[in-house]
Amino acid sequence: MLERHKTDILILGSGGAGLFAALHAHAADPSLSITIATKGLLGKCGCTRMVQGGYNVAIIPGDSIERHFMDTIEGGKWLPHQELAWTLCETAVERVQELENEVGCFFDRNPDGTLHGKAFAGQTFDRTVHKGDLTGIEIINRLMEQVWARPIGRLEEHRAIALIPAAGERAIAGALLIDIRTGQFRLVEAKAVLLATGGGPTMYLYHTPSGDKSMDGLAMALRAGLPLRDMEMVQFHPTGLLAGPDTRMTGTVLEEGLRGAGGYLLNGDGARFMEGAYENAERATRDIVSRAIYREMREGRTTPNGGVYLTMDHLGPDRVAKMFKGMVERCADCGFDLAGGRVEVVPTAHYFMGGVVCAPDTSTELPGLFVAGEDAGGVHGANRLGGNGVANSTVFGGIAGDKMVRWIGQEPHRMAPDETMIDEEMERARHPFRKPTGSVEEIREKLLSIMWDQVGVVRNARDLNAGLESLEELRQQLLRDTGIVENDLAFNLSWHDWLNLRNLIEVSQVIASAALQRENSRGAHYREDYQDAGSLVDSRFIIVRKSNDQIALTDQQVDFTHVRPGETLITDKAGAPEAAE
Amino acid sequence: MSQSQQHLTVSVWRGKSEGAFQDYQVPHLENQTVLDIVTWIQRYLDPTLSYRFACRVGMCGSCAMTVNGTPRWTCRTHVSKVARDGRLKIGPLSNLPVIKDLAADMTAFFEKWQRAEARFTPTKTRLDPIEQIPPSSPARLAASAAIECINCGVCYAACDTVRWNADYLGPAALNRAWTLVNDVRDGGQDVRLRAISANGGCHNCHSHQSCQVLCPQNLNPTASIAGLKRLTAAAFIRGGLK
Repeated sequence: MLERHKTDILILGSGGAGLFAALHAHAADPSLSITIATKGLLGKCGCTRMVQGGYNVAIIPGDSIERHFMDTIEGGKWLPHQELAWTLCETAVERVQELENEVGCFFDRNPDGTLHGKAFAGQTFDRTVHKGDLTGIEIINRLMEQVWARPIGRLEEHRAIALIPAAGERAIAGALLIDIRTGQFRLVEAKAVLLATGGGPTMYLYHTPSGDKSMDGLAMALRAGLPLRDMEMVQFHPTGLLAGPDTRMTGTVLEEGLRGAGGYLLNGDGARFMEGAYENAERATRDIVSRAIYREMREGRTTPNGGVYLTMDHLGPDRVAKMFKGMVERCADCGFDLAGGRVEVVPTAHYFMGGVVCAPDTSTELPGLFVAGEDAGGVHGANRLGGNGVANSTVFGGIAGDKMVRWIGQEPHRMAPDETMIDEEMERARHPFRKPTGSVEEIREKLLSIMWDQVGVVRNARDLNAGLESLEELRQQLLRDTGIVENDLAFNLSWHDWLNLRNLIEVSQVIASAALQRENSRGAHYREDYQDAGSLVDSRFIIVRKSNDQIALTDQQVDFTHVRPGETLITDKAGAPEAAE
Repeated sequence: MSQSQQHLTVSVWRGKSEGAFQDYQVPHLENQTVLDIVTWIQRYLDPTLSYRFACRVGMCGSCAMTVNGTPRWTCRTHVSKVARDGRLKIGPLSNLPVIKDLAADMTAFFEKWQRAEARFTPTKTRLDPIEQIPPSSPARLAASAAIECINCGVCYAACDTVRWNADYLGPAALNRAWTLVNDVRDGGQDVRLRAISANGGCHNCHSHQSCQVLCPQNLNPTASIAGLKRLTAAAFIRGGLK
């Protein structure tokens, strides 16, 4: 029933964080055995690959680490963990050079051959290094090639279901996985474990992340008793493709550059609603545009599928088709004319700022467990700058790889796993087999609507309370009445849909609880009953823990270790163009 | 779920290397892709149907299948583009072992990528500045034209040479090797040239061009492989390849 494996380093996830961790750990000590477990194929699932915009790095003459840092702190509305944000900005320079010089990425150049930096919203310098509008593919393909070339173990199509502690000790002993291809449980015992499964708020009616994402990492961290922070912070991208309920394409991103280049948003009556009402009109920041669209939707001025229109036609269809080739082709494949017609769009849940509390060296409260990428909390605070996502995963993935090798140097013994916990977790995964067959899809659709309507772009106490009540009912409905037939567990997606859904509901409850707790509006979190941002110098972040199935919330003052609200680290004025959308 | 009178008859491969096509009646809905059809069957008709997908938008190359006889991404293939007389036939990718139903085992595809030495060999480190390389230099133009492969395996499944010769590295791996021989930063050219001119290498290509006809990214692996053939022939004449 249970197969057992032993390794030195177990990495959960094969995005930018997981692959960088493996490369760094292997380089630091090639004698260690390293195993990557990933829910899909190595490097092919998850969201690093889906990065369009690029990679923020203070590498172009005239920019500075201080300037990148200040943009990150201002963008995060003074909630980021300043040591984490500083580490991000400082290490990104070396990491981009590593990607180019050692991993083999080739980022876009200026005509003279120097690195090209593009303008991205909310930044005071054109620092986003990129490969066209498919930066993630270049980064992840090159990383995959390097990982495949090394003696690094691959457990592909293996999902992690639980972090397993040591017997009788406060430390990690490994992780329990399911081999998706066979349905077999597999325990991997390890001296160090990296949680790098990626967040991905796929519990919203409209969402951008890869379809395999279901908050597995954060759900496991919660069950392991770890503290999570900033869980109310869900970033919405204003322009997701709206193609109706019957296609998985709905919710996928139409890039920011379309608005930047002068695209118009029209409501269902065909009128521009941003112009005049908002500074910078359609070029306002993601959160402002998302809320403006949401307002039109609430007031019923919508398109046939319930969103608004994006139109580029006035810029000249030929020019648009040339400038945004990838986007135009993608729309054409699903039957829409982006260059010359109107495409229905809707705000869409894009990125999760919240995550496991960790130190700048990626260590967590649980000895031997490390965290990097979207599973980690604190880097972005209340809002992530476009281009800081892939910087985050690659910077901290590399740091985690180095750190885990040092950790094993200090703690060379593999701990015996808690066997009771393993049995309990296998039973927990087999829960649906003991219940009458029910419709997982029906519950998933309910979850998506609850989160969208009551815990979404615009929030208030009444809706959040109602949402919490509905989420608990939904959880009970899943656990009580919704089983899966245990007739063939090999590559059984329906079983995994069920496991995904349980994780999504559990994390949704935490998001709603944290959103209720924060009685102000910061960054991605907007409360219509508390519209003020609150005092910046008194900024507090919310910490969530779960024990005995109960959610406990506390908060803590932000430690302004580098800069305080009202101050800046930028002394030079030279060479910095104003931010462009 | 929006209602529609129209239905499609969808034949889906069930099993591993041994198996059979099974027919399902699926409502033909607006904006439906082939991946949506497969999903609908799994959600509403047969929960044990196995398939692979991830990004759902043409970036990860996980969801390629054989649709009415042709390998394609299923996430970005509109049903109306491929259905014939209300029928669809969906199987796993060819030229690869089947894990179950519509999910192929891509291990051999990625192993050949390595056999072709289709990965960067560094000559500098993370402490060095980024090299100044004009994007309009001829080598860089050649590399850029071929770089946007997402390793979906469509070309590999379409390739007759792969079908006849299990040793053949295939279009995707060789196409990547071509981008690297045009990368002035790379330090592994000799090893790579030997790998791609060995048995199973570029000289096996018969230029049937299925790869470039079917590449969803509109790349032209046939042209990349032709480039490798010229290069390895020239190196052979110079005595560089032993």
